[in-house]
Amino acid sequence: MPAPLDDKLERDLSVGTAWLVVLATIARAEEAIHGYEIARQLAAEAPEGLSFKQGTLYPMLRTMESEGLLRSELVPSSEGPARKCFTLTADGRRVLVAWHDTWRRTNKWVNRVLGGVDELR
Amino acid sequence: MNSADRPSDQSPSLDPVRAYLLQLELALETCDPALRHDALIDAEEHLRASVAAGTSPAQAIAEYGSPEEIAAAYRSIPTSGGSLRSSISTLAPSADSRSEPTAGAVHGRASVSSAASAAAVHPDSGAASSRWQRMRRIPLVGVWFHPIAWRSLVYFGIIGFPLALAYFVWVVTVGTIALGMLPILIGLPLLVFLLGSARALSLFEGKVVELFLGVRMPRRTQPVVGVGEGATQVGFWSRILCWLRDIRSWLSLGYLVGNFPVSLAAFTVTLTFSLVGLVFVALPILDLFGLPIGVAEMDDSTRIQFLFTEVKPDADGKLWLPPGAAVPSFLIGFGVLTATLWLARGMGWVYAHVVQAIQVARPRPAAPGR
Repeated sequence: MPAPLDDKLERDLSVGTAWLVVLATIARAEEAIHGYEIARQLAAEAPEGLSFKQGTLYPMLRTMESEGLLRSELVPSSEGPARKCFTLTADGRRVLVAWHDTWRRTNKWVNRVLGGVDELR
Repeated sequence: MNSADRPSDQSPSLDPVRAYLLQLELALETCDPALRHDALIDAEEHLRASVAAGTSPAQAIAEYGSPEEIAAAYRSIPTSGGSLRSSISTLAPSADSRSEPTAGAVHGRASVSSAASAAAVHPDSGAASSRWQRMRRIPLVGVWFHPIAWRSLVYFGIIGFPLALAYFVWVVTVGTIALGMLPILIGLPLLVFLLGSARALSLFEGKVVELFLGVRMPRRTQPVVGVGEGATQVGFWSRILCWLRDIRSWLSLGYLVGNFPVSLAAFTVTLTFSLVGLVFVALPILDLFGLPIGVAEMDDSTRIQFLFTEVKPDADGKLWLPPGAAVPSFLIGFGVLTATLWLARGMGWVYAHVVQAIQVARPRPAAPGR
C-alpha cells in the first residue's frame, strides 16, 4: 500500500472535526476563553501524533465569529495587553448541539461497521 | 519537539519569534494588508504567551505551524462575513452524506487549515446575488448596482463630514488646551491623553470606513510591544511609552487633523453633484405630473434659460419646462448622478486605503522590542 495513504484518514478526520472540537472547547469553558488557551487545551488532549497546527486556530476563530457562532470581547489581563476572549452565541450552541448529535450517530455507525473487521488485526 | 533545550533563544538579537514573524510576513505578502496585520498579531501574541508559559521558542513555533501553512489558513478566510453560512453544513459530516463525509477535503493538506479552505470555495451563490453581479458589469451604468458606490455616497455626502468635524474640534480643542498648559505640567498628561484618544478615534473611524467603503480594516490592535515576553505586568508608564513610540498614534493624530479639509472638500463635491443631478432628473418628473418647475416674479429685463431654451412665465408667473427639454434634462441628470456614484466609489477606494495604511502601520517585527 502506498505510504501517503496511511495517514489519509487522520488528515481527513482532523479537517472534519476541527470546528467541532473548537466549538466544544469554547462551550465547556466556564467563562470567555482566549485563543491561546483553546490551542493549549486542544494540544494537551490531542491523541499522540495527531498534527494540530495551533496557528490555524486563529483564522478559524475569526471565520466562526463572522459566521455568528462566536462572540468576542477584550478581557483585560494582568499579564499583558487585553486579550480577545470568545464565548458561544445562541447560534453557536445550536450548531454545536446539532454537530454533536451528528458525531454520535457517525461514531456509532462507524463502530458498528468496524466491529465486523476485528479479525483482520 | 526539536531543540527544546536552548534557553539562550530569548536573547533579543536572535529572537526566533521575531524571525518567524518576518517569515510569516513574507509568506503573507500577497494578502490583504489588514489581514496580514491581524495574522502577525495573532502569531506574536500566541508565541509570546507560549514562551511565557515555559515552552521553548523553537517548540512554540513548531506547534504553531510553518509560515506557509498559516498563510494558507489566513488566505482561505472569506472576504465578507456570512458567505460561509451555506457551506457550514457541508463541513459537518451529515447523516445523509456519511458514505463520503469529507469528500471535499481529500486533496487537502495535512492540517486543519483545509477545513477553512474547503469552506471558502463556496461563494455567495444566491440567484438574486448573481443577477446583481451581472448588472454590475454593465459598462458605466453598472455602478448603480454597486452597494459600495451607494455606501460611499452616503459616507461622503452625509456622515463623513460631521464625523471629521467632530474629530477636528476634539483634537484642536484638547490640543490647544494641552499646549497652553504645558508650562504648568498639566499639559503633558493631557497631551498623552490626546494621543490615546486619537488612537481610539482612528480605530472607530476605521470601523466606519470598513462599513461604508468596504475595505477591510484590521480586527486586532498591536499589543503593547515587548509585553508578554516574560509575563511581566504592563505598567502604566510602559503603556504610555509604547503609545508615544508607536507610529500609529502619530499617524492617527495627523489623520484626524488632515481629514477635516479633505472630507470637507469631498462633502461639498458629493453634495453639489448629487443635488445638481437630482434637480435635472426631478424637473421632467414634475413636468410629467403637470406641475410647474418654478414660480418667478420678474421684470422685462430678466431672462431665464434652461438648456439653451428661453423659459417664460405664464400669466400666473409659473415656469414650465420647455417642450423637448424633458428627455435631455433627464439624461443629463442621470449622467451627473452616474458620474457622482463613480466619483464616490473612486474617492472611497483611495480614502479607505489611506485609512487602512494608518491602521496597519506597525513597528517592523525585526525592530528591537525594548
